[in-house]
Amino acid sequence: MPGGPPTGHDAHMSSSIFSARAQQSSLLPEDELLPDAVALAAAAALRGKPGHHDELRGRLSPAAAAGTSAAEMSPLWQRFFQATGVAGWQDLEARAARVQRRVQEDGATYNVYSEGMSGETSARVWPLELLPMLVDADEWQGIERGVIQRAHLLNKTLADVYGERRLLDAGLLPPSLVFAHPQYLRPMHGCQPPGGVHLHVVAFDLARCEDGLWWVVGQRTQAPSGLGYMLENRLIIAQQFPEAFRELSVQRVGASFQALLQGLMRLSPEGERSRVALLTPGPHNETYFEHAFLARYLGISLVEGGDLTVRDNRVFLKTLHGLEPVHVLLRRVDDDYLDPLELRSDSTLGVPGLLQALRAGGVVLANAPGSGWLESPGLAGFWPAVARELLGEELLLPATTAWWCGEDAAWRAHEDQLNDYVVAPTFPASETTQGFAPKAVAALSAGERAALLARIAADPAAHTLQARLRPSETPVWRDGHLQPRDAVLRVFAVADGAGSWHVMPGALTRVASRRDGGADPWLSMRNGSASADTWVRTEDEIDTTSLLPKPLTAADLTGAHWTVTSRSAENLFWLGRYTERAENSVRLAKLSLESLATAARDDRAAELLPLLDELAHRHGLVGESVPEAEQAPRVFERSLLHALADTKASTSVAWNLRALQSCGQTLRERLSTEHWKLIHEVGDHFSQHMKAVLDKGAADPRADALGLLARAATHLAAITGAQTDRMTRDDGWRLLSVGRQVERLDFLAHALAAGFERGLQRSDEGFMLLLGLFDSTMTYRAKFQARREVPPLLHLLVQDTDNPRSLAWVARTLRGRFVKLARHELGWAAEVVAPLPQPDEWLLERLCTPDADGAYPELVGLLHGCSEQAQALSVALGRKLFSHVGTHDQRVWQ
Amino acid sequence: MSAPITAPITAPERWLRVQHDTVYDYDSPVELAHHLACLSPRTTAQQQVRGWRLTVEPAPDGWPAAEVPPELFSTDPWGNARLVFSHAQVHERLAVSSGFEVGLSAPPRIDPLASPAWESVAESLRYQAGAVRSEAVEFTLASEFVPRDAALAAFGRQAFTPGRPLAEGALALMQLIYRQFAYKPLATHVGTRATEALALKRGVCQDFAHVMIGSCRSLGLAARYVSGYLLTRAPEGKTKLVGADASHAWAAVWCPEQGWLALDPTNNIPVGLDHVTLAWGRDYADVAPLRGVIRGGQAHPKVAVTVEPL
Repeated sequence: MPGGPPTGHDAHMSSSIFSARAQQSSLLPEDELLPDAVALAAAAALRGKPGHHDELRGRLSPAAAAGTSAAEMSPLWQRFFQATGVAGWQDLEARAARVQRRVQEDGATYNVYSEGMSGETSARVWPLELLPMLVDADEWQGIERGVIQRAHLLNKTLADVYGERRLLDAGLLPPSLVFAHPQYLRPMHGCQPPGGVHLHVVAFDLARCEDGLWWVVGQRTQAPSGLGYMLENRLIIAQQFPEAFRELSVQRVGASFQALLQGLMRLSPEGERSRVALLTPGPHNETYFEHAFLARYLGISLVEGGDLTVRDNRVFLKTLHGLEPVHVLLRRVDDDYLDPLELRSDSTLGVPGLLQALRAGGVVLANAPGSGWLESPGLAGFWPAVARELLGEELLLPATTAWWCGEDAAWRAHEDQLNDYVVAPTFPASETTQGFAPKAVAALSAGERAALLARIAADPAAHTLQARLRPSETPVWRDGHLQPRDAVLRVFAVADGAGSWHVMPGALTRVASRRDGGADPWLSMRNGSASADTWVRTEDEIDTTSLLPKPLTAADLTGAHWTVTSRSAENLFWLGRYTERAENSVRLAKLSLESLATAARDDRAAELLPLLDELAHRHGLVGESVPEAEQAPRVFERSLLHALADTKASTSVAWNLRALQSCGQTLRERLSTEHWKLIHEVGDHFSQHMKAVLDKGAADPRADALGLLARAATHLAAITGAQTDRMTRDDGWRLLSVGRQVERLDFLAHALAAGFERGLQRSDEGFMLLLGLFDSTMTYRAKFQARREVPPLLHLLVQDTDNPRSLAWVARTLRGRFVKLARHELGWAAEVVAPLPQPDEWLLERLCTPDADGAYPELVGLLHGCSEQAQALSVALGRKLFSHVGTHDQRVWQ
Repeated sequence: MSAPITAPITAPERWLRVQHDTVYDYDSPVELAHHLACLSPRTTAQQQVRGWRLTVEPAPDGWPAAEVPPELFSTDPWGNARLVFSHAQVHERLAVSSGFEVGLSAPPRIDPLASPAWESVAESLRYQAGAVRSEAVEFTLASEFVPRDAALAAFGRQAFTPGRPLAEGALALMQLIYRQFAYKPLATHVGTRATEALALKRGVCQDFAHVMIGSCRSLGLAARYVSGYLLTRAPEGKTKLVGADASHAWAAVWCPEQGWLALDPTNNIPVGLDHVTLAWGRDYADVAPLRGVIRGGQAHPKVAVTVEPL
């Protein structure tokens, strides 16, 4: 019975205990009829794969089928289900649905580079299992000791390789592996990072093997991913099992995040006053969600390389109000991309001069550049000897066997037993190395196998043989059963900045997507594995430190300073402009299509066409070469319709919606999920449907197009609502608003001027069109009913400061927001806004008085002034605030 | 340090003066510039250096004057001195100027037969358990401009015939490049890789050196890139023009018995008393005399090098 909670009638249940109990209990009173949750869970548990350790039962799965009993369940899982209770057990399906909903609401995603030609990334919803992985206290102590030892070892190794090089000289590390690794960075030679700490965060992937022990299967040392996802998992899953979470004394992870921040600040030249930022490659990175999530949780700035600049060997953040120093960078940009001056010169993700700033002690980089080569699986076999040399110790945690094929003897000795191995890349892909997906040899066809052998022979050093894993299986909740799935834990250690390490009591567990373990021997998220929260039991006190928002004090609130980076600033400004432009183009397209329809029947409407034609040309709704609407209305209409869906040649509706989308994409961390969704959907919906309408080749696509435009208008109104109502009114928002008002002032003033130049106010149709362009038809009707006179028209559209579509309101709002935005440079602000018109101070009487020819030269002149001043303000603002955003760095070689 | 700086044993046989000036005249102001210079000449068994002076104008951020504060140098893994400097003030011109004198001694004559068969040298450079590190190993590996590649290996085999002594093969390879390649300054650019240069069969000294290094590496041998200067002579009956020389580059192939064999495939001669050594690395990218990242402006570098006997 897929989907529903299991009941006593479930035919799939394999347990005899369950039915025995049920029979017995039929003699008992009603309320004791139900068996306990442990028995229910045991009954729903499927058997594990022989040869794999079974976490639920706490033993190796046997080869032959054997009944399951509650007594067989490990004590840890028994306590889990006891605490969850029967009601909890029966609620699992509902809880699983809640977990999915929470993940969706949080916008937790994982970007996957698409396989297709587009090269675009697609966001996958973060896969999270309902049931946590459980680890007992004594077992965790073993993991903790082993992880700390290895973290120490790795940091010492880096200090040696970039310093004395004893390990390389003695052949304890193979020089031809280390030197060939693209993340061994020669410019780091001789560089001592602050406190001698190269590594601040390291991660180890652990699997429990057949012997019941935890084995190291991999390590992440340059910019380990998973901390943010681990936190997200904990926040969601702990809530689903509050009783079990308490009953099992699960250690909290909040204190570890604080330890990470404290460790970083301890090493920073500015100590506790340090500015910490998270350096991300940007929204297209596969783990961008967690970059944003982690930055928010830690209360640090999320920055891209382009947001930073190095001056005099110190790192600065480019903000709306100037350069602000940054002392610590928690970086998620790969090693070789960090500094285009000294490393990959084609990198646009890094910061020129960053390495020199590090050398000069001006910044703490976590982790230090040049740490990625430690991740090579080819090194696995060398660590025991390195540990003896550097620590004088044997390694506490064993590692899976690996043979680097660059050592000829090792390769020759194992080439006959390839079926026992996974062939893994020694290096990540780069200019000088080839990367590939790890392959389990036993699963290859004869042809694939021969091809692989040929590739190894051609470049043995690029290949490493890793013994195949049999990771333990942990239960996941599927269709009313507990299904065992292969699991690998990613455990994190953070440096305390004083020479010691702290292991986070928790992990990001990856579980296989299929019961048979699937094709990916590394259980990577990229290949569809899911994640699970990891509960570590403690016998010590529970540390309830949390970095989650705590009640703010008055002092917090008055002192709050929200930094807006220059890049976000520019994007916010354009988000405002594109939103307004999109609305204007939708309105203009709608009015044009309607007027064209009327003009076909009624000559009086034809006089509207020249104005619509001018506006359509000015705003890119039709191409330059399209003939005038009055002469060839059908050609004009066809071009207008086609341009609606065009995102390349014209700047009509689809184009503006696309621009809005890409602006929103860069600002994701500032927009609410609903806001972002709306922006995303409006573009996709309109383009898709408009294309379908055109492709259909209907005789009269106009009606369909008008329907789609109406829908887009509703959508855009919701976006505007999200912008006015849901965004914090900081300087970023002010910029957005300024962008919007600039666009509105220009569009409306120009449209009104062009209308009066053509005398459209004289006819009924023209009068209504002008009101329509201002989106003020209803307001006018409510106030002045059917009157068609110039004074009320101009009062409403030009001077009424209660009408958010009047020029007076727009200009006043623009002025006010701009001055507040530029409050730190009042002199400059005053200079910029001085020429901005103030339509509420114009004299209505004079505006309404036509000259002898019935024209309104004074009005038209003032209106053109509005347009020009709106554009001038935009230019002045861009030159001042965004000048260093637009220009690109250039590489120069001699 | 992989290459010990030792004073020459004998007195130099000749002294040369080198002047290397680089000027960038930007067509619009540069707001921010970072540069990495590799312009400090090396002291070797055949070369001693005196009076080296590097000036940068305008003075970079944090420098008291146009001349380099010595503590700003860092050393790369091969012992080259590197210098990073930056300008956060707006400027329209950047001048970097390096001048010094070198005393040169002739390197020992290369004995073509006093070296093992090239195959055994290649074998000895592969990793084996327990082997101690040789400084040569790093130079057998692929680098940005010089990958290991089948076409380069095939080209190299024309010189390294089976069983041939390494030194003899290296000399033959130098000659092969000199004969088959045309010196054409505009055929390639600073970003040309060894594989492209091989396909074109033309280029400048940088490309010739890259092809020579790549042919060796693709056969498992160690070869490195040397950047430097060359003393040139004026055409018959004319006075030599000041600044008419250029930066030069060549290759050095590692021989277990004779050490690094420095060979100039552009001129088909072993490196001698006309060659001034600046720095060495895996390829051009490791030791480019000057590389930078600038914001604003378009750069038009003017480079003037003069090498003259004292």
